Amino acid sequence: MAEVVRFENVGLRYGLGPEVLQDISFGLEAGSFHFLIGPSGAGKSSLLRLMYLAHRQTRGMISLFGRDVSVLPREQFPKIRRRIGVVFQDFRLLPHLSAFDNVALPLRVAGVRESEIRRHVEELLVWVALENHMDVRPPTMSGGQQQRVAIARAVIARPKILYADEPTGNVDDRIADRLMHLFEELNRLGTTVVIATHNEAIVQEFGRPVLKIDAGRLEIIPTGEANLESITAAKKVSE
Amino acid sequence: MMLFRQSNLALEKDDTNRFLPWLIAFMVLLAALSVAGLLMLHQISSSFEHGIKDTMTIQIPAAENSRVDENHVKKALAALKQADGVLSSKRIASTEISELLKPWLGETAGSDGLPLPRIIDVEVDRSSDLSAEKLTDLLAPIIPGTTVDDHSVWLTSLVDTLRSTELIALAVVLLITLATIGTVIFTTRTGMGIHRRTIEVLHFVGAQDEFIARQFALRAFIVGLQGGFVGILLAAPILYLFDFVLKNLEDGLLPKASLDVSIWISVGAIIPVIALIAMATARSTVLKSLKKMV
Repeated sequence: MAEVVRFENVGLRYGLGPEVLQDISFGLEAGSFHFLIGPSGAGKSSLLRLMYLAHRQTRGMISLFGRDVSVLPREQFPKIRRRIGVVFQDFRLLPHLSAFDNVALPLRVAGVRESEIRRHVEELLVWVALENHMDVRPPTMSGGQQQRVAIARAVIARPKILYADEPTGNVDDRIADRLMHLFEELNRLGTTVVIATHNEAIVQEFGRPVLKIDAGRLEIIPTGEANLESITAAKKVSE
Repeated sequence: MMLFRQSNLALEKDDTNRFLPWLIAFMVLLAALSVAGLLMLHQISSSFEHGIKDTMTIQIPAAENSRVDENHVKKALAALKQADGVLSSKRIASTEISELLKPWLGETAGSDGLPLPRIIDVEVDRSSDLSAEKLTDLLAPIIPGTTVDDHSVWLTSLVDTLRSTELIALAVVLLITLATIGTVIFTTRTGMGIHRRTIEVLHFVGAQDEFIARQFALRAFIVGLQGGFVGILLAAPILYLFDFVLKNLEDGLLPKASLDVSIWISVGAIIPVIALIAMATARSTVLKSLKKMV
């Protein structure tokens, strides 16, 4: 399987501060499913930001879809970003747009026809159980509803890679389970999925490989029983 | 339809966009007055230049009238016809002279008791070496005491003054344009600051810089049109009043000048021009600022 993400000795520092990520090296194969765990402040969000091109690394090499992004001109970024879906921890929904328009945003940006947009968006909003909230604006929605809108927006354009930062943080167990199955379904269709989470139950239940980050350094735990110990350790540090 | 759907940035709800149309309206008001003034000055100076600059006036003083009869005048006209550099000559009728003097003398100018000079208008070829002195020398043997007034001497400085004033009006229009550009740059940057998070989201979902810049540009165009219309609406009554005053000026004080259709069209053209300037400024400001983002 070809790698869609490759980090080689990547380091990141903000301004003149210390390195928040040090010598990060790993690769994600197309169609893989990983959890990203680590205590708060360990560098999970920074790593994700590098992965969805919100930041440029200070050193090292990052390759997305086989292209070295450190030498890629800015004008090429939108093309790559359209192949990446992101669910932000704080959702980042546009408050003045309805749930429908928020979800439709990636398609409109890509210039898809309105008739097609309507069909796809309505279908997806039914999928995340928001068919009765299409015209509702995010500020009047519950946290869980907003999160589902954010997830729908991230997956509407059928991304090749999906990053989700704490996607089950604001929903009850039933919805969390449903969302995880949505991610699994997308993964089965070929989307590479990375989910940053503190939810050890989910990591155990799904038994997928884990990227564990601590104090800016990354450890890869392939899969299986070792997860429980690692997650518990990470959780304790975060508490 | 994209034009009428709510923008992804909701720029129309910004506080900055509430004031911008009024600022632009004020700029357009000033620009409309300056442009109208500029074009009218141009009308007046052109009229001076073309109407009088190539003429000289021969004046046979009233005191000499008793000794000058029609034959003398005819001889003078015949001599002028033969002179090098004289294109044509025409005697001004005494009724016409009375009309020209009316703004200064009132109805007295037409009374029989007032001695009026005899006047001959001469159209001259400026490329020849004909001068007022030469014409005086030519006419002195026929009608002694005749004076020749060469308008180009004083008209040149008057036209120069008018042209300088035109340049000042043009500079005012340019300054207004620069002030408008500066205002649009400032409000666009403020708008980008307000919508920074939304712009980031648009980038993350794959928006090109052009997609974002188009929204700011479209908003600036609409605001430019709104401000432009209000500015012209405010300027119109002032210009009408100005036109009314000019039309009612006594004949002879100034060459005829008025706000004709071409001036109204030029003033009206400020609306789309200002909207296009605002649009282009907003677009380039956004594109420049976005280049600094990842």
